[in-house]
Amino acid sequence: MANDEQYNQETQDSKLMIDHDYDGIKELDNPPPPWLMYIFYASIVWSVFYVFYYHVYDGPSQIDEYNTEMAEAEADRPVNNFDEENIVLLTDDAAMAEGVKLYASKACDACHGASNIGADLTDNFWINGGDVASVFKIIKYGKAEKGMTPFQSQLTDEQINQIASYILIKLKGAPTTNTKGPEGEEI
Amino acid sequence: MEQQTFYYDNKIVRLFGGVTILWGVVGVLVGLLIALQLAFPAMNFNLPWLTFGRLRPLHTNAIIFAFVGNGIFTAAYYSMQRLLKTRMYSDLLGRIHFWGWQLIIVAAAITLPLGYTQGKEYAELSWPIDIAVALIWVVFGWNMLGTLAIRRVRHIYVAIWFYISTFITIAVLWIVNNLAIPTGWFESYSIYAGIQDALVQWWYGHNAVAFFLTTPMLGLMYYFLPKAANRPVYSYKLSIIHFWALIFLYIWAGPHHLLYQALPAWAQSMGVVFSVMLLMPSWGGMVNGLLTLRGAWDRVRDSAVLKFYVVGVTAYGMSTFEGPLLSLKSVNAISHFTDWTIAHVHIGAMGWNGFMIFGMIYWLWPRLFNTKMYSEKMANGHFWIGTLGMIIYAVPLYWAAITQALMWKEFTPEGFLAYPNFMETVTQILPMYYLRSFGGLLYLIGFLMFAFNTIMTARSGKLIAEEEASAPALEPMKKSRESGETPHRWVERRWVPFTIWAFIAIAIGSIIELVPGFMVKSNVPTIESVQPYTPLELAGRDIYVREGCYTCHSQQVRPFRSETERYGEYSKAGEFVYDHPYQWGSRRMGPDLAREGVVGGPMYKSNTWHYNHFLRPQDVIAESVMPAYPWFISDQIDLEAIPVKIRAMQTLGVPYAEGFDLIAVENLLKQGQSIADDLKSNGIEVEKDREILAVIAYMQRLGVDITKSHK
Ligand code: HEC
Ligand code: HEC
Repeated sequence: MANDEQYNQETQDSKLMIDHDYDGIKELDNPPPPWLMYIFYASIVWSVFYVFYYHVYDGPSQIDEYNTEMAEAEADRPVNNFDEENIVLLTDDAAMAEGVKLYASKACDACHGASNIGADLTDNFWINGGDVASVFKIIKYGKAEKGMTPFQSQLTDEQINQIASYILIKLKGAPTTNTKGPEGEEI
Repeated sequence: MEQQTFYYDNKIVRLFGGVTILWGVVGVLVGLLIALQLAFPAMNFNLPWLTFGRLRPLHTNAIIFAFVGNGIFTAAYYSMQRLLKTRMYSDLLGRIHFWGWQLIIVAAAITLPLGYTQGKEYAELSWPIDIAVALIWVVFGWNMLGTLAIRRVRHIYVAIWFYISTFITIAVLWIVNNLAIPTGWFESYSIYAGIQDALVQWWYGHNAVAFFLTTPMLGLMYYFLPKAANRPVYSYKLSIIHFWALIFLYIWAGPHHLLYQALPAWAQSMGVVFSVMLLMPSWGGMVNGLLTLRGAWDRVRDSAVLKFYVVGVTAYGMSTFEGPLLSLKSVNAISHFTDWTIAHVHIGAMGWNGFMIFGMIYWLWPRLFNTKMYSEKMANGHFWIGTLGMIIYAVPLYWAAITQALMWKEFTPEGFLAYPNFMETVTQILPMYYLRSFGGLLYLIGFLMFAFNTIMTARSGKLIAEEEASAPALEPMKKSRESGETPHRWVERRWVPFTIWAFIAIAIGSIIELVPGFMVKSNVPTIESVQPYTPLELAGRDIYVREGCYTCHSQQVRPFRSETERYGEYSKAGEFVYDHPYQWGSRRMGPDLAREGVVGGPMYKSNTWHYNHFLRPQDVIAESVMPAYPWFISDQIDLEAIPVKIRAMQTLGVPYAEGFDLIAVENLLKQGQSIADDLKSNGIEVEKDREILAVIAYMQRLGVDITKSHK
């Protein structure tokens, strides 16, 4: 066979092992490719170093890594100049536009719409107070035990101010799918 | 030397080969359905037995145990007879093995959609089926070792080394991982809890990949590849080195599935280093396979069989390169819980397992039926469409994985999560899910061509049921080593010591990794405030297991800023001590639920929210791909089982007070009533014994205990 000749040329250096014959399958006595063995040894050496580094020389644990990450994030956090004591109702168009966008993107309606999970925000009744400061606070800090999500880790104070203003100015009296009926006090 | 004449049993080979094709089609079909469900949740059809959480285990079990399982039995029954120059030890054992295994598959296909599951990945089958698997596996091993005992060839060939290691390791893994206390005909609790369960489970899970999907496939390769190529095996020495290194190292690598999770650091490090050391031993198999094809490359162009082998072996090389890569903690931090893992296993399953089995059967069928392949052209067509299908399946998933991982981790300059709404990160990758489903469809079409081609081949010939062969009888040889005989050559002719050595190789890693988990208390620091579940919560947890929620939800917050911001405090080992079985999961199709119940945490939802969400997730989260669970509201909690479950938990060491089983139902109904009352105050009427209340109670309990110790 031509194949055999070509084959023998390619593998002049490898011998058939004569006593190895399994249902016609023969084996050659080639050594394993050296690169394969070197990488194998290298991986063993690497492993020894790895274990030494983390368990003998006390390299950083995953909790150490976490603490570092959190400290860095804290250091990078922009300073907040928002004055939470004196919140004012925003009335400009820009604030209204931002407010409606945020109200949609944070899916407030998932709870305050047809599902009736949260209160109707379009009526004059408020459980937690109907002034801008109260609405700001409930959005920012939520009311976890009642199921109102705190949004302080998702929205900046400015943004919360915009949504709160939007609710009090534009949402009031708007058509709603919420059918819970009045809750809290009329303001 | 007296020449003996005997007959190979080809009937058993045809039986196993035939069902390999049949179950393969079923397994891929279910795979396609669940791929579509993730893209189009309406495909769950609001039917319990057709939801993703129940069908995903059906898909994985069908591919692993039915398709690949029967495939490796086909390979073993054909090649062992010829490599050992004897008929199989017992026709009867072979038939018991065959029919027993098929019965197990049918039982699995019925029970898994009905929701009978152990809730452990790739070990979902319920306890009676587990026992059947163990028994049938022993029948297989018995038949195999018996055949070794009556062989006419002195030395055992490398393919059979791999079969032997498969048999003993799977037996050990299967039994240890499935130990459980039954609480009903098909229900049970794993005897392990929390991190112990996690360790045992991934010691099993990873080595099921190693010893069910890899070693027997290498056995298959070492016989069928040189046969089809008609070339000698490239390196006998490489065979020896990579065989022993592979089986010794593989068994340690399981914890790489649990990196950055609540597992002791030493165990994680074992998972990392042993995976890295595995790279070259795995590649040893690929290199030996590909170099065996030297001098046969010109034939690869025309032969579908050789093409399947080339791509199959290359896929093996790719997945075994990717495996160690994914075991590096820095890579794993990104890849874990994403589709990367799914893409990775499909390169293995479609490419390595699938293509090697296709190649084997295309080669085997004409020989068994003494005819020619019905259509070589169609086989080549199958090869191309299968390869294309695999690429269109995997590439979009890699893309999806990286996209989603980056979205999970992105922060705004203000220091907030850029995508706090989890669904945004799912919606973003849905186009990739459409593509992957299309890739799966192509693979299925190829599979159907394969089925058709093999059926037509069989019909065009006639099975040579009894194939005559002859060989000289084996002359007795002294047990001790002969001069000039290498130690390995010496063990190769003695199957009992060989089997014992292989057992020792896999036992070392198993013992070192598992035993400290049970014995050394410091591995699971206890947390005072962590208490057992109430009966209602326990019932809810069992429903969670039944529905396979773990196929989409993890319960493990890793110590990353991106996770503690999104989900809450990172998970601690001591929090899971009553979790039989643990439910950490491995993929986040939906958000992590470990802190779902923490009031004031980022995940907390009210009872009303949960009620609406389970009834119809899309009403609450518009684009949700979570299935609806309307039957939670119509179905009653199985109250009769509650005392049995409490007693089983007591046996497992969960500290319920003496006699608690007697008042458990009363306790359950009381808690149910309080949730029903709360729902009622929000306008929702539901009776106090409905499943929905149990599931809500469980959701509200998740991750809560640890917050109490802070007060
Ligand atoms: C997970 C469900 C949920 C989501 C999402 C949600 N809320 Fe609420 N919200 C509630 C619940 C429940 C209440 C009622 C709390 C109570 O009983 O005091 C509430 C209360 C409120 C109130 C006070 C109503 C009152 O009568 O005092 C405001 C204002 C409010 N939410 C605004 C928002 C805004 C703005 C968003 C989106 C940024 C939002 N909510 C998203 C569930 C939700
Ligand atoms: C096909 C995958 C899938 C399955 C199966 C699944 N879920 Fe979900 N789940 C999701 C997705 C996606 C979300 C995010 C969107 C949403 O809230 O609907 C989610 C969200 C949730 C949430 C809301 C988490 C939060 O606070 O935002 C809960 C609770 C939940 N699932 C519980 C379950 C339970 C319990 C089961 C089993 C009965 C289950 N899921 C089965 C995909 C799934």
